[in-house]
Amino acid sequence: MFFRMIKGALFRQKSKMILIAVTIALGASLATAMLNIMLDVGDKVNQELKAYGANITVVPKENSVLSELYSLDEKEETAAAHLKEDDLGKIKTIFWGFNIIDFTPFVNTYAKLPNGESVKLTGTWFNHHLALNTGEELDAGIHSLRSWWDVKNGRWIDEQGDSADDNSAMIGVALAEKLGVSTGDKLEVKTSKGSKALNITGVYDAGGDEDEQIFTTLKTAQELSDTTGLIDSIEVSALTTPDNELARKAATKGPGSLSPADYETWYCTAYVSSICYQIQEAIPDSVASPVRQVAESEGTILDKTQLLMILITILSLFGSALGISNLVTASVMERSNEIGLLKAIGARDYRISGIVLTEIIITAVVGGVAGYFMGYGFAQIIGQTVFGSAIEMKPMVIPVVAVLIIIVTLVGSIPAIRMLLRLRPAEVLHGR
Amino acid sequence: MLVALLAIAVGATILSGLVTIYYDVPRQMGEQFRNYGANMIFTPSGSDKLSTDAINMAESLIDSKELVGSAPYRYENITVYERPLMAAATDFEGAEKTCPYWRIDGEWPSKNGEALVGKETAETLDLRAGDTVTLVYDLEGQTAAAKPKENTERNQNSLEFRVTGVLDTGGNEEKYIFISIADMESLTGKSDIFDMTELSVSASQEQLSDYAEKISAEVDGLSARLVKRVTQSENTVLSKLQALVLLVTVIVLLLTMICVATTMMAVVTERRREVGLRKALGASNKSIIFEFMGEGLLLGAIGGLLGSFFGFVFAQAVSVNVFNSSIQFHWVLIPITILVSVLVTGISCVLPVRSATDVDPALVLKGE
Repeated sequence: MFFRMIKGALFRQKSKMILIAVTIALGASLATAMLNIMLDVGDKVNQELKAYGANITVVPKENSVLSELYSLDEKEETAAAHLKEDDLGKIKTIFWGFNIIDFTPFVNTYAKLPNGESVKLTGTWFNHHLALNTGEELDAGIHSLRSWWDVKNGRWIDEQGDSADDNSAMIGVALAEKLGVSTGDKLEVKTSKGSKALNITGVYDAGGDEDEQIFTTLKTAQELSDTTGLIDSIEVSALTTPDNELARKAATKGPGSLSPADYETWYCTAYVSSICYQIQEAIPDSVASPVRQVAESEGTILDKTQLLMILITILSLFGSALGISNLVTASVMERSNEIGLLKAIGARDYRISGIVLTEIIITAVVGGVAGYFMGYGFAQIIGQTVFGSAIEMKPMVIPVVAVLIIIVTLVGSIPAIRMLLRLRPAEVLHGR
Repeated sequence: MLVALLAIAVGATILSGLVTIYYDVPRQMGEQFRNYGANMIFTPSGSDKLSTDAINMAESLIDSKELVGSAPYRYENITVYERPLMAAATDFEGAEKTCPYWRIDGEWPSKNGEALVGKETAETLDLRAGDTVTLVYDLEGQTAAAKPKENTERNQNSLEFRVTGVLDTGGNEEKYIFISIADMESLTGKSDIFDMTELSVSASQEQLSDYAEKISAEVDGLSARLVKRVTQSENTVLSKLQALVLLVTVIVLLLTMICVATTMMAVVTERRREVGLRKALGASNKSIIFEFMGEGLLLGAIGGLLGSFFGFVFAQAVSVNVFNSSIQFHWVLIPITILVSVLVTGISCVLPVRSATDVDPALVLKGE
């Protein structure tokens, strides 16, 4: 009997039940989409913020203390301490290696131009292909670490293509104007260790000091400064977690001051300070320090964006909850006639509540499942249009949405049912 | 009726709240992006250094509301214990605004005779907050290293400073010693010269390049340049964030409006019986629709009014929580919110009322 009545209610009042299911589906899809976006927005915005370039620099140990203090005026010598080029791959092997998106080594030297002027010549990777012994492969280099460079004429050096060995170089726009050189020209440079004719493949506008420099391949710069296999510094771009109290403590007092449990937490969280610490562990005699301008600001912006999304999510959850419970209340109230009849022919209160609740819950489950998939679609639409990548669907959203929907439908229907049960069947049926 | 009103009010709250946030996000987020520091610099265009007048004149060309902070810099070679170092003079109040990412172990200098030492230099010289350091400036413009040590008749000026803090930036600033402009003037005996000025301006990239062009053209001996790394990246990230908020707003609004519409439909469908009774008593379809519409529109208007108020309260709460600043009230949103809620309620009333009026009153009243 119970099931027959429910079946009857579900199918006889098809259009009304569909209306409820649709509303629940809409609410559920809103909740699903917003929760997923909220949970993923941190990662997505973090990726976008990589446009600001490296957030960690690695320099040799002695260099970090003494560097350039004694060479403020002389531009001939390169720094005394070096890192080894062979150690570069180790950066990807640290605990948070997966969070390291990009890195590039630098070799700096000063070269004399034909007109006697001295310019800064930097050797680096442009889009160097790395095959790590972990089996991972990536393209690293300044092409993505200097996303704001505007290559005015010519093109980026392509290390995987033609220009691996032929002394290609890119020149800053200010220097190019001063020297009157452009793409395709050859530029003779001389250092105390040798000389080379560089092929200019592109002129870039960096909007800063780098406009007066020349960038060339790592190998060319190493040959010019006689430092084969050695590098001066590394820039690393890593995805990090915004600093909190613990990270600040570790950064100011050193990881040694943390208790073993705190140390574990700190080490296993992608704080910029713990990534720096791990890089130092991986590369011998190195000092890795966060670039505060990038690291600190990233943290602030991530926190704000997440908080903003959380509040918008709360608003929309609240909105969909009210929408659903409103409709459920309305649809239960509407059935005063039916409930009156049931009471008149002797149905017990709990049976009536059971029937109405089961109907509503069945509708809610159908609507909720449909809504979850609709929400999935909405989240992907937003992910693709805004970030050009899929939003990761977190499994934890499913129970959250399910609990939300059930609570909301119950909250919407129980008070209404209680109110209807208190009515006298005769009055209801009479139509008052 | 209360149910319907509640639904409309909630819908309208979401509408006005989200739209207010959407309009305010670029401004508020833009301010957050100022954390990345200066996005415009003034440099001398000729061989002369910058003067205070030129800097002030250039700054006056920028809308004062958009100028977050500016800090002039002057660099001089000095020596500490015969060691050549670079001293930078700046306006600390301005630097605090243009470089919010500076982490200081200690405090910012607040008066003359106090200095901020870069971390690297502090380590080399073994200085901590609270120590004193003597800066020596060679008036002949030569660094100590270039001079023979026996020469005791050097024309030098020296000043003692108290270190208030050690600066950690992860950049070149860690090598410098920062002192106030007045101290630098008394140390070197030269005043009113600056090497560069850093500015943090809260404006879009196009607007910034307009400013830069205008300033470079109008102020003699000064050229304004954009810090491309900051402006370009800000443009990329900010436009993504804006697109995100826009899409989220659109989807939330769409779904909320449908929710409101279904609730309204349910509420009106419930009253089929009433429609049937009126028809039986001889009311024309037109007058029934008219009455229902009037009721719906009134509800829409009241809900919209309530919603635009609560929406503003919500947006204000978000703004205070997230950005620590209050939000502007957009008066134009009140009529828009009311209009939209009236439209939505109107449309969602029409459909069920129409279908109810099409039915034979006898059937409706009988309950089929």
